[in-house]
Amino acid sequence: MKVLGIETSCDETGVAIVDGETVLANILASQVPLHERFGGVVPELASRAHVEALTPLLDGAIERAGIGFGDLDGVAVTVGPGLVGALLVGIAAAKSVSLATSAPLIGVNHLEGHILANAVEHGPDLAPAVCLVVSGGHTMLVHMPEPHHYDILGQTVDDAAGEAFDKVARFLGLGFPGGPAVDRLARQGDPNAIRFPRAMADSDDYDFSLSGLKTAVLRHVQLEREAGRTVDPADLAASFQEAIVDVQVSKTLRATRDRGVGTILLGGGVVANSRLRERIEKAGADDGLRVLIPSMDLCTDNGAMIALAGLWRLRRGDRSPLWVGADPSLELR
Amino acid sequence: MIVLGIDTSTSQTSVALGAQGELVGAVQFVGVRKHDDVVPAVQRLLEWTGVELGQVGGVAVGIGPGLYTGLRVGVEAAKTFAQVLRVPIVGTSSLDVLAFAVRTTRRRIGAVLDARRGEVFVAFYRSVPGGVIREGEYRVERPDALAAELEADPEEVLLVGNGAMLYQREVREPGVHVGFAPAALAHPWASALVELSTARFIREETDRPADVIPLYLRKTDAEIGWDRRARGAPA
Ligand SMILES: [Zn+2]
Repeated sequence: MKVLGIETSCDETGVAIVDGETVLANILASQVPLHERFGGVVPELASRAHVEALTPLLDGAIERAGIGFGDLDGVAVTVGPGLVGALLVGIAAAKSVSLATSAPLIGVNHLEGHILANAVEHGPDLAPAVCLVVSGGHTMLVHMPEPHHYDILGQTVDDAAGEAFDKVARFLGLGFPGGPAVDRLARQGDPNAIRFPRAMADSDDYDFSLSGLKTAVLRHVQLEREAGRTVDPADLAASFQEAIVDVQVSKTLRATRDRGVGTILLGGGVVANSRLRERIEKAGADDGLRVLIPSMDLCTDNGAMIALAGLWRLRRGDRSPLWVGADPSLELR
Repeated sequence: MIVLGIDTSTSQTSVALGAQGELVGAVQFVGVRKHDDVVPAVQRLLEWTGVELGQVGGVAVGIGPGLYTGLRVGVEAAKTFAQVLRVPIVGTSSLDVLAFAVRTTRRRIGAVLDARRGEVFVAFYRSVPGGVIREGEYRVERPDALAAELEADPEEVLLVGNGAMLYQREVREPGVHVGFAPAALAHPWASALVELSTARFIREETDRPADVIPLYLRKTDAEIGWDRRARGAPA
């Protein structure tokens, strides 16, 4: 079963074709250089870029997969959550492909895409699991007792993890996006150099709060400067990163114990963070848990995760009508 | 050859099928539009007319200027149809389509679309046998600037488009030499777009789907702010 996947929810245009769990093509047009000077994603610029990128990406994916549009058995597209104008571009393209090829249309939740991306490399046996989805737009813990059944345990009450990385990176003059830049710098620093607060680490819910940490970083630097001391940026980056990772790892592990599951699934762009991978893998091994992490290009936004999630939905007999719309705050359920 | 036309540059969704100077069918959603009804409208039109997508030999699309989000949905749908069906596509300014619909007038034509934020998209045209020829650029103007321009030029002009309707009071002031096309012609109709585009299909002056992008005429707010800061002016 060959399914086309289209992802345009934010600042990456992703198009992929999967055949079952096998990825035949997965190509991406990144808009990072476009938004870099603004220090964040500009929605109108993102929408414009999607229109320019989609046509060549669709041709490229079809060519790389070695098939024709007529060979498609389904068309999957992200319908939310995300930027509404950006989502609508991908949805319009997907509907045209669906009508022109008679392949059924399936709208996909972007967050389900991040979770199911694990099936590409780790096989379809994912549930029951606890999923940690961390990206520029999301920080969320989800219990998946069985496939397509989601129970949101908690999420960020303010900034997403990726936003916190971006803001601290901007403060340190590291550029955009902040995640990879902070990660790189942190490798030369001591994660225990500065003890930043672990917000909500001890609360008995599964929510996260990241805006306080960002403020603590700024305040620390200010106080040190006033005291005439210099702050090592590498130590600062490592300590900031450690505070984020600490809370995420401990809450994820607690969720596996609470729900009695033996699998942790990771997804989202922030999962590319080397410290998060390292710490959660170590913690999982200590607790005898199976920790599944998609490879880098399947963690960040991509078309393959949408194609795969759509394929799973189509297999269950799910279909979306041609008038399906974008839902910028679509919930995972 | 059957041509599929799509225009979503204003708050209306307009799709049509035409062949050799004949309108095969059209679907028009007028008024408040949802951004997801373009492809369903095409599906409905195909059902009603009995035309199959395999019979479509070309896609014509209105590329604006217009309201960004809706415009993009129509352009993206149109270029993807052309791409998947492997048929040629022709992108035409929606202002050209407006002017083409009133081509029988002897007056100079001003096509004016609402650009929101107190501005209009505008271009001027002159009738020629079989169509219209644009004079000057596609522009973004404030209605009072457009009125001043009309006042300075005594030539009779016919204004067409929802922008002309919206700012009728402002642009009527220059005098009786300014006339208005009926409200029914205030939006670009896909049927007119198909008729206008046919000549380009015949002359094989078609576009590659990848090259068809909306005519925005304005930078994004973020870029405008950036440019302003770069010039040292307050944001
Ligand atoms: Zn994402």
